[in-house]
Amino acid sequence: MSIMELNGGSVIAMVGKDCVAIASDLRLGNQSLGISSNFEKIFAMTDRVYVGLPGLATDVLTLREQFRYRLNMYTIKEEREIEPETFVHLVSSALYERRFGPYFIEPVVAGMQKQPNGSFKPFIAATDLIGCINFAKDFVVAGTASTKLFGVAEGLWEPDLEPEDLFETIAQTMLNSVDRDAFSGWGAVVHVITKDKVIKRTLKGRMD
Amino acid sequence: MNTFAERFSVSGSAAEIRRAKEVIGEDDDFTGVMWGSAGGFGNLSKGVPTFSVPSVPDPTDFLRLHTDDHADPSCKIKIKHGTTTLAFRFQGGVIVAVDSRATAGSYVASGTVKKVIEINPYLLGTMAGGAADCQYWETYLGIECRLHELRNRERISVAAASKYLSNLVYSYKGMGLSMGTMICGWDKTGPAIFYVDSDGTRLKGDLFSVGSGSTFAYGVLDQGYRWDLTDEEAQELGRRSIYAAGHRDAFSGNTINLYHVKQDGWKFIGNYDVSEMHYNGPGGTGGYGYGVRVEGRTSANPAS
Amino acid sequence: MPDGSYAHPQQRQFNPYTENGGTILAIAGADFTVIAGDTRQSEGYSIQTRYAPKVFRLTDRAVLAVNGFAADGNMFVKTVKQRLEWYRHAHAKDMPLRAIARLIQTMLYARRFFPYYVYNILGGIEEDGSGAVYSFDPVGSYEREACRAAGAAQSLVQPFLDNQIYFRNQTPAPGTSHPTHLPLPDVLAIVIDSFTSATERHIEVGDGLEMYVVLAKGRSTQELASIRGAQELTPKEGGDRIFVIRRELKKD
Repeated sequence: MSIMELNGGSVIAMVGKDCVAIASDLRLGNQSLGISSNFEKIFAMTDRVYVGLPGLATDVLTLREQFRYRLNMYTIKEEREIEPETFVHLVSSALYERRFGPYFIEPVVAGMQKQPNGSFKPFIAATDLIGCINFAKDFVVAGTASTKLFGVAEGLWEPDLEPEDLFETIAQTMLNSVDRDAFSGWGAVVHVITKDKVIKRTLKGRMD
Repeated sequence: MNTFAERFSVSGSAAEIRRAKEVIGEDDDFTGVMWGSAGGFGNLSKGVPTFSVPSVPDPTDFLRLHTDDHADPSCKIKIKHGTTTLAFRFQGGVIVAVDSRATAGSYVASGTVKKVIEINPYLLGTMAGGAADCQYWETYLGIECRLHELRNRERISVAAASKYLSNLVYSYKGMGLSMGTMICGWDKTGPAIFYVDSDGTRLKGDLFSVGSGSTFAYGVLDQGYRWDLTDEEAQELGRRSIYAAGHRDAFSGNTINLYHVKQDGWKFIGNYDVSEMHYNGPGGTGGYGYGVRVEGRTSANPAS
Repeated sequence: MPDGSYAHPQQRQFNPYTENGGTILAIAGADFTVIAGDTRQSEGYSIQTRYAPKVFRLTDRAVLAVNGFAADGNMFVKTVKQRLEWYRHAHAKDMPLRAIARLIQTMLYARRFFPYYVYNILGGIEEDGSGAVYSFDPVGSYEREACRAAGAAQSLVQPFLDNQIYFRNQTPAPGTSHPTHLPLPDVLAIVIDSFTSATERHIEVGDGLEMYVVLAKGRSTQELASIRGAQELTPKEGGDRIFVIRRELKKD
């Protein structure tokens, strides 16, 4: 049994027009046994930067605290909030520090990146469990349902979706993918991030 | 001792004869009846099923190497697994309830599997383990049961039918068959359930559950079981038990198939979506789900 | 070690299987069925050929798609065709679809202890004129369905199909309901989208796409007229008809 499949769980992030969305399931399991249906894997790092941490549950909690600590240190030193692209590099280096005894997490980052002219640009990225960054222009996936998410997202996603359409796209992608994955599901949560607000919605998913 | 193993071992007298046949050119796979009127009968065209086996010292080892996904998840031929099935006897007959999910690794290969096999109008078999093994041998059992009827002018008893299956799979013991089934029906003696598996176990009993989710089903089933359950109560218990397994077990779920066996044969009661049962319950009469039942009254807000 | 000397007894493992990639897919409509497969055949990271058909016409109303180990698949199709020919000689008619499905089960199960490493999907028209899809595992368990993807990219394609064909997780607008069967042009569009998506994200899928369309007897071919390059395979009119449509997929 793979340690990446011990607790189950999946995350996806998508780019839209002046917005990004990040979604995850809510299951925490012990192999085939479902334990919890409110185990959130997506955390707000700043008002505009969100990170999803699918993988081993103990490392989800550890890394969340680890990132919170490193982020506070960054904020204090720099006296400004972190940008999503910078945060991905923080994640990457934190993971690579454990190159030979890694955290079993494949983080997904979604946020709005501040441009030099003061406007905001959608940003998403994902890394593997030792911190290799994948900057994608469309969508990124991770977790036990990743192959399913790739297939559905490739079929449903299109460029320049408005926030409400992006929500519908990511929600449908998530729900239909986790229904074909034994280790993900038990409800889902979606965050749609725009430059001045974040909308969080909990989805009613299949409970089996 | 094991006649099947002997038939296909590469050493010994049986193998000598087989090799001699190969030299003479007698083809074992194709016979005259195959292209005659029995053209559609597959490997049953010779009356009894015949199987091809690889010419290796240990065919069982070969099969295990290539098909057993528990020993080796990277092996090529994945046989579908994961199930919850249950059957129990009560005052009003037999209730048979099953889920409909088939998984290959973490992938949900199907959510619409028929895990109750309708052997004939009086006999039902359930499916756990290898889907093909259960489907094929229980269909074959149906053929034999019909022949029994024609020969003896009376229906086969559940005991005899289940023993036929049990003896059959026992003759293949150790060859890699995988099935855990409950043969349910109604005969001269009344309602009956026999648990039969590919190890050769055959048990008569009132209440069984088989599969990866069986422990969850037993939890609900044991708690609610009584002999004098009404028909409606019994059907509800079967449905509720499979729901419990579908909810908690990752390898069970999707839908519930419910059957009721009475004196005049089995009846299909219905197909119920597990998620629909969680949120709304059968006919929208209140969901089974924990979260649904404690809505707004959790430890987070005890006052309301 | 097998060093070529005869000093010590040697044992080698019998390993007759490889995986040749590719994906197949079938969708049943009310009075038609679409059976499709890509044409790439690969082993590991190498492409053996860009055109190796995986979908085969069996009768005027049945089409079989095979995926997994190509050698086993081709051999299996050959023997199924042989058995159907024998059936024609004995009964002077084509075997009905549901009987072909059962035949395939018994043929696969006959190799229970030395399996064909093949995932089969059988599509066609049932005796009552309805579209049907039967899917099999390598040792013969089978089920009639409305839609099924198998092979390398099954986990990418199947959840997409659940959403687009069965409308899973979609709530119809109040007062309306989802159609039980989609029209042929919609189904073909979904099949093409499924394969372009799979080609994009799976290395073993690509090169070409072959879609077989089986139409029930008497059904209008109007919708196919607008489809580029639809080619009829059945010789006679007045029965069930089979068409094939070919498309290019990305070759990288």
